[in-house]
Amino acid sequence: MDRPAQHAASTIDPSLLARVAKGDHQAFSQLYDHSSTLLFTLAVRILGNHEEAAELLQDVYLEVWRKVSRYDVGRGTPAAWLVTLTKSRAIDRLRARAARGQQATNSLEAGTAAQVTDAGPSPFEAQADQELRVAVGAAVAGLPQAQQQAIELAYYEGLSHTEIAARLNQPLGTVKTRIKLGMSKLRDGLQQWRNAGDLQ
Amino acid sequence: MTHEELEASVPLYAAGALDRAERQALEAHLLSGCSACHAALKDYQSVAALLPLSLSPVKPPPSLKSKIMAERGTAPLPVETPPKVEPASRQSLEPGEWMDHLFPPVAPAKSSTLPWALSLGTVLVVVVGGYLAWDISTQRSTDTSNIQQLETSLQEKSTALAAVQREASEQAKVLEELRNELQKRTNEAAETKEHLTQREAELEETRAQLAQRNGGRTVATPQDELATLLRSPNVKAVSLAGSDMAKQGVGFLLFDSRTQNAWLYSVNLPECPAGTTYQLWAVYDKPMSVGTFRMNAGETSHLLVKKVPGFTDAKTFAVSLEPSGGRPQPTGPMYLLSRS
Repeated sequence: MDRPAQHAASTIDPSLLARVAKGDHQAFSQLYDHSSTLLFTLAVRILGNHEEAAELLQDVYLEVWRKVSRYDVGRGTPAAWLVTLTKSRAIDRLRARAARGQQATNSLEAGTAAQVTDAGPSPFEAQADQELRVAVGAAVAGLPQAQQQAIELAYYEGLSHTEIAARLNQPLGTVKTRIKLGMSKLRDGLQQWRNAGDLQ
Repeated sequence: MTHEELEASVPLYAAGALDRAERQALEAHLLSGCSACHAALKDYQSVAALLPLSLSPVKPPPSLKSKIMAERGTAPLPVETPPKVEPASRQSLEPGEWMDHLFPPVAPAKSSTLPWALSLGTVLVVVVGGYLAWDISTQRSTDTSNIQQLETSLQEKSTALAAVQREASEQAKVLEELRNELQKRTNEAAETKEHLTQREAELEETRAQLAQRNGGRTVATPQDELATLLRSPNVKAVSLAGSDMAKQGVGFLLFDSRTQNAWLYSVNLPECPAGTTYQLWAVYDKPMSVGTFRMNAGETSHLLVKKVPGFTDAKTFAVSLEPSGGRPQPTGPMYLLSRS
């Protein structure tokens, strides 16, 4: 029986990816266990639809299986790589959908998505993830509403600052400043949290 | 944009909020090697990657794992092949991802940056390889220290080329198809790389000899010239696709409106039969000859450089096979055509 700490998405060891790159099926299964909840959560948030999120995850994991040798630890943690890949593919889908003229169900279902989630941590939710989740949640919640909104429109809906300014009917400069300030507060907040952890 | 403006756009980049032009400007700046901006980007990207942790977790359906494991079981072992994604949703040059794949790590390790450059810019390696091959005539020698020097220089040129290529693929989407096609042939590229390494050494030798012959006169090397071209804001890029005569063929045309130099890289055109030559046409109201070139046996790529005024007005570009010496108007079959 694995200890919960071994299932933390935030602490995936780069060596696990190295094993996947060699075609190790068990390592791939572990990688899925570590990361699927985080990636599915992200996909549901962007696409606003569980079925499409599941399809997307299927594509993403197959792409990971095929391209894992491209992962380079110098460019970020395994979790960051997986999140970036998933987000990018999800935004691609969102845009393809928009291009096909379909109604974005995102905003409609996004609200309910949060409600149907489990309140408690998932079985795969490890201690390390829980602590980080609390820290990130606190950092995001600590942002002024306007900054949080601007960052989320860019990050989860793939809007550029120009599009955000149009959507919110705000001057472009204001939107840029909100995103910059928000990102820099998040960075500082998480840095402080890490430093505090180091001191303990 | 000033450095301050570029640096200030890093958090926006990480959040995915930049417009395309700003994104390109910052990426070009990062590729030029600004370590301060690179460090800031790494910082902000790691923050951005944590954002999904602030969402309430949603578990994937239990059946998903077995589905993925099964589907992947039928897939080949991890290899560098592009995933099957419908073209409409395949916009791989998106913010974040682009840098993911093309940005070198902070502490470059030769062993990882080379496969990186190869697998991700196969086109570039082939193109640059062809370019070098063209430039080298007969001198052959090996000089391992020069190989390393040139390897570094080659990587810089490859990344610079990548920026231009990105522009082109956004204009025409043609290079995206080309990239997929060429990624499938990674093995071929690996071979090309071996040749390339040899030819780098030969090129260095040639350059040394050229410098001697020119008696100290300052001569811009082809690489310098190419680098200058790629930095120029006046450069236009046009891609050419192979016709039925040359399904594997591709071309990439750069035109500098300031110096009025045109560069055509042709890859995978068939060998010219004896007594024939390829001829590049710029089509205004009617075709105008730009120049001729030959593909000899064993050549996979060719670089044609010409000085031509008023190129920017041309509507399309084409390469046809003509009798030796070329013709005033195209008479033979078309091999490459730009998509307008």
